[in-house]
Amino acid sequence: MNQRPNEIKIESHGDIILLDIRGDVTAFSEPSLNSAYTSAKESGPKKIILNFEESAYINSGGIAVLIQVLAQTRRNNQKIGITGLSDHFKKVFNMVGITKFATIYPTQQDALSAMSSMS
Amino acid sequence: MPDDQTVELNLPSKIGYERIAIGGVAEFAKSVGFSPPRIEDLKTSVAEACINAVQHGNKGKPDARVLLAITFKENTLFISVFDEGGGFKAELKDPNIERIIDNLDPPVGFGVFLMKRLMDEVEFNKRSNHLHEVRMTMKLTG
Repeated sequence: MNQRPNEIKIESHGDIILLDIRGDVTAFSEPSLNSAYTSAKESGPKKIILNFEESAYINSGGIAVLIQVLAQTRRNNQKIGITGLSDHFKKVFNMVGITKFATIYPTQQDALSAMSSMS
Repeated sequence: MPDDQTVELNLPSKIGYERIAIGGVAEFAKSVGFSPPRIEDLKTSVAEACINAVQHGNKGKPDARVLLAITFKENTLFISVFDEGGGFKAELKDPNIERIIDNLDPPVGFGVFLMKRLMDEVEFNKRSNHLHEVRMTMKLTG
């Protein structure tokens, strides 16, 4: 069973770059997520929002890929917001410690409002 | 022969087929009264057990299979995931995200970590040199 590649749109909202990630997040997401992050960081943003699909299937392989992206954002001193997660994956992200390196917001609008006022 | 309360699934040992397993387990759990949040916990746990069976148990052998047995008795859901490997030698330590972010540890170990936290009990049973079982249980409460 093959996973369809993720579609990732990159949007600019003032000084925030938003990656709108469609599809499931698994080990197969590594090339598309890394490529989107590489494009997103070209303009030197200090704030990035990762928006997921609420119905997405996310497994440990996807969590590992996401943590590797977070490692890059940490080295580049970027603040990360995460939106679009179901209640279950909010709990899972908290359990594995992703919330130590990224803030989960209830909605994309909440993330944009909160992060636009950050220095 | 399994009893008339047990459902069995026999899957190819390939990443992706865990979605068939979680669909079956979710329907079974719903039919016996588990709540949507507990079913989400089950889906993640079963997916991770199947992924481990493919990657670490069957080690990518193309003709190996992953077998699941699901049953409900005494208000408890029992799920066994079998692979054709020899099992774990020692308890895996929990992943440390700080060390992973700092590139000191590889980004592994999240599957077992999540299974242990999302299920009521998880056991790793070496049945033989070529049969390993991950047995997970979840009680129906409330």
